[in-house]
Amino acid sequence: MSARNPGTKLDLEKIFKVRVNTQAVLKRAQQIQGQKIPKKQWQAAWLLRAVTCIDLTTLAGDDTPSNVHRLCLKAIQPVRYDLLKKMDMHDKGVTTAAVCVYPSRVADAVKSIKAANSSLPVASVATGFPAGQTPLETRLQEVRMAVADGATEIDIVINRMLALTGQWEAMYDEIRQFREACGDAHMKTILAIGELGTLTNVYKASLVAMMAGSDFIKTSTGKESVNATYPVAIVMVRAIRDYFLCTGHKVGFKPAGGIRTAQESLVWLTLIKEELGNDWLCPRMFRLGASSLLADIERQIYHHVTGQYAAYHELPMA
Amino acid sequence: MAGSTAKTVHDIFVNMEYGPAATSSAATAQAWLDHHSRSLGLFIDGKFVRPADRQSRSLVDSKGGNLCSTVCAVEDDISQCASSAVNGFKAWSSLTCYQRAKVLLRLVSVLGQHAQCLSELCDLCEASCSSSTLVRLLQFYSGWAQLRDTLITNWTPLGVVAVVVSDDCSLYSLMLKVLPALAMGNSVIVVPGRSTSPPALLLGQLFMSAGFPAGAFNVVTGCDMTLGAKVAKNASISYVTYSGNKQDGVTLCKATAGMGVPVSVSPCIGATCPFIIFESADIDSAVDGVIDTAFKKKKEVHWLLCVQENVLDSVVARLRLRMAGMKCVALPSDGDRALVEAAVQEAQQQGATLVQSCAAPPSGTQYPPTVLCGAAPSSSCVVNPSAGPLLPLLTFRSNTEAVALGNHSPHGQAASIWTEDLTLALETAKNLSVGSVWVNSHSVCDPCLPVSGHKDSGTCTDGGQEGLYQFLRPSSSSSPPLPRSSPVSMDYTKFGTAASPAIIPDDSDSASAPKPYLQFVGGKACKAVSGCSVAVQSSGASSVLAYCPDGGRKDVRNAVEAAIKVQPGWMKKSPSARAQSLYSLAKGLEAKKRDLAASINVQTGISLEDADREVELSIARLSDLAAYCDKIQGGTLPMLQSGSALSIPEALGVVGVVLPDKNPLLSMVTLLGAAIAGGNAVIMVPSQKHPLPTLAFVQVLQFSDLPAGLVNIVTGSRDQLTMALATHSVIKAIWYWGSSEGCQYLQYTCTSPLKTLRLFCQKDNMGKDWTHPSLLEEMWRNAVQWKSVWIPTA
Repeated sequence: MSARNPGTKLDLEKIFKVRVNTQAVLKRAQQIQGQKIPKKQWQAAWLLRAVTCIDLTTLAGDDTPSNVHRLCLKAIQPVRYDLLKKMDMHDKGVTTAAVCVYPSRVADAVKSIKAANSSLPVASVATGFPAGQTPLETRLQEVRMAVADGATEIDIVINRMLALTGQWEAMYDEIRQFREACGDAHMKTILAIGELGTLTNVYKASLVAMMAGSDFIKTSTGKESVNATYPVAIVMVRAIRDYFLCTGHKVGFKPAGGIRTAQESLVWLTLIKEELGNDWLCPRMFRLGASSLLADIERQIYHHVTGQYAAYHELPMA
Repeated sequence: MAGSTAKTVHDIFVNMEYGPAATSSAATAQAWLDHHSRSLGLFIDGKFVRPADRQSRSLVDSKGGNLCSTVCAVEDDISQCASSAVNGFKAWSSLTCYQRAKVLLRLVSVLGQHAQCLSELCDLCEASCSSSTLVRLLQFYSGWAQLRDTLITNWTPLGVVAVVVSDDCSLYSLMLKVLPALAMGNSVIVVPGRSTSPPALLLGQLFMSAGFPAGAFNVVTGCDMTLGAKVAKNASISYVTYSGNKQDGVTLCKATAGMGVPVSVSPCIGATCPFIIFESADIDSAVDGVIDTAFKKKKEVHWLLCVQENVLDSVVARLRLRMAGMKCVALPSDGDRALVEAAVQEAQQQGATLVQSCAAPPSGTQYPPTVLCGAAPSSSCVVNPSAGPLLPLLTFRSNTEAVALGNHSPHGQAASIWTEDLTLALETAKNLSVGSVWVNSHSVCDPCLPVSGHKDSGTCTDGGQEGLYQFLRPSSSSSPPLPRSSPVSMDYTKFGTAASPAIIPDDSDSASAPKPYLQFVGGKACKAVSGCSVAVQSSGASSVLAYCPDGGRKDVRNAVEAAIKVQPGWMKKSPSARAQSLYSLAKGLEAKKRDLAASINVQTGISLEDADREVELSIARLSDLAAYCDKIQGGTLPMLQSGSALSIPEALGVVGVVLPDKNPLLSMVTLLGAAIAGGNAVIMVPSQKHPLPTLAFVQVLQFSDLPAGLVNIVTGSRDQLTMALATHSVIKAIWYWGSSEGCQYLQYTCTSPLKTLRLFCQKDNMGKDWTHPSLLEEMWRNAVQWKSVWIPTA
């Protein structure tokens, strides 16, 4: 792990200069979606790469220790051993990037993972997820408690009210405080792009989040009406590129919400490769927030290895 | 495949490389070629014709494999084709608009059935054109075919139209000429280039199955570009229109000069176009656009990247990142490598720095995408760009400088401008002298957008409603403007250099001594620079009526100088202000109507009564054109994507007019009025035979409120002045009434830069009926060029 993004001072002048041409971004998104997706062993390799970037997530009201346990075991062995073996990938440490749970389930997850002799990171959403409409003090407290329970990655949500009303200083200050509360835990800042109105606002919020020291910027909570879309992602990764050009710090990117098929995960990888390059195609810089995606990827890999389409019950459930 | 299967999943997992490009199948197209034994005939009279004993031209695909051979047509084939096209025209033009539209629409479904074959064939021939764009063209033009008689009244088709394209022209550009010609009821003879030959021949077959009458669409192939001129020589051809590179276009113009057939040129390949990034742009998107278009293997235009100085660093930084992964681009031919390297070296010596995706391989026909930052405006990569993935980058300080930089080129094809500032976008679009402006986008083609190259980029408009008129003539004109003729052998350098004949008048009777007239340059009545005069004789050539100045090259130069100074200001005036000036000109004419009538009477020998009538008509004509000023308008265009597309009429600039002998006053005010109503300045050369009414009109001009220099009248020898107009690069268009030698001279000479020519060979009393009101539309359409502006929105 190289240096984290320490953040910078809030550069409002830069924020105000942001311009995004929506139709051009839409066109670029279409272009990326229209690219040929990899086939054969390229597809298998890319899908495995996608697996290693997944934050395997469960964020439901009915989460209990038992389903969190299953999730953790699936995260440690995301693809059936025999399938990996056929591709000679069984000893290459293919796990998902992390598991992602609510703060109250962090302790369960940490316990399960330890029990399985794994060092897989546990991520937790925090700060009044998903709406962020709770007092700052309780949001900060939530972060501290999740970290105390053993979460090494925290997905915070921004205060949309501040972004929509253009109070960038206030938003910057809040995120700064979250970052402090995270301590050594990596911070992923969820912009909830479905509620930011315009692509220009997405770009601005991305810059503010990075200036405030986010290690990742993340599209959405999965609970808004609009989730991770390619045009929004293009704008966010451009902001990441912009920040990198200005400061030399590489910030990661995490699309989340609505990513369900293996095909989509390949488009996401293509998008990152096209816009940011191979440097970002690793779990340290790129995550896919997803729950049901893994099952589809595993089926595709099954097909690659056996030439047959699997029924869902042939693959271990999460 | 051995190499690719050797890659293990783990290798790829680590490197995250893209897989090998899928090899596209071309089985259907190959089967079609095999069906024709890989030897394609000519497509004449609705069927393939393979005459014996012809040379053939063999075509190879991109990998050098044999594709097929085409026939090199000879004289006999051309005349067979032309007579079939004449019959085709009869059959096709006698259908109703609805029937023609239906056939065009039926072609859409035929195309749908054979889309695979066509697109594969296009790929093989590197004439790439997706069948969806062809469908769009067909649907657009079937609409116009349907409504021709409803929306375009008083115009009729020309007859047989020859569409000639160069070897590197795309199938889209070819069809952008063919389909409007057909939609308007003409029959077409296509002379395709190397890459468009097989697809054009396939299309011939598809046209037939859609129900076109035999002979409406013919394809003749040749060994080289000389075939175009050979086809043009056939007397049944009414019009020749060309698309492709400039060089071959010029060759065609010179080869067809004097044949008595109008030729228009759309040099759509090889123009230099500015790509302007303002500080207010979405720079990432702009850079995407650059990456998209600038480094293609087969590029139709050469881009010149212009970046506002204060965002240069961020543009270059993004270019560097985005270019990092790009592969080398194949150069069209082996010889290009040396050219590319020379251009890069020259730019570097002049201080340019390189942004390259990777180092250039030591040799071979591959070269990495390269941006030449800070290239000198004089360096050959800017002025005379070669093939290859090179992109010169210049910086500008202000918005006005961006426009100046963009306009500082002989080309006027298109520009791409990037800014989020709407006012700036529209102002820049207005001030760039190019035919197409793409705001926050690039290279957008659609048949509804008129494409009309400004400056050296074309002499006709393609696409849109405006592009239909090149395939039509006013119903009122009974005869074609140019009678068919054979080129005479002439020494073009000697044209117009003969000295004026000296006529010593018999001035025994000093009371009736001929009056000396003055010409009108820069708003002042003046003598010729040479100080000499020529005599004007009466209609029977029995006596000298007057003396007029013997103007020459320098008088034309002075007039152009004065004209170009005031023309932009005149164009910028509101249309209604221009209208008021024209109305007051009409009023001024009314005040002097006796003088004018007298001069017509004296000059032409017609009765005073008839002369009076001509003056009255002239007054009415000026008023008509005054009223037209604010009726000449473009509009919004129906694009497929969301956004705003505009077509805007713009002045040509400075127009040279060599006036006809017939109706000397009426024809003069019609041409003058049309030119200035459209926002142009004019240099008029009065008829050598009947100059007096025009010279008498000077007194009206002197007291008008037109800006000084907008209208200039230079008298003298017609040939000499025609030569002076032809050799002045500022003049964008010449309207000429005169000898067939003069027409031939102009067609031959006005190619560099290209001038829009309207040529009329006048013989005796034939020619235009100047009293007919329907010629007004023809006149104002000749006086404007079109600009399309595309502003896409989400």
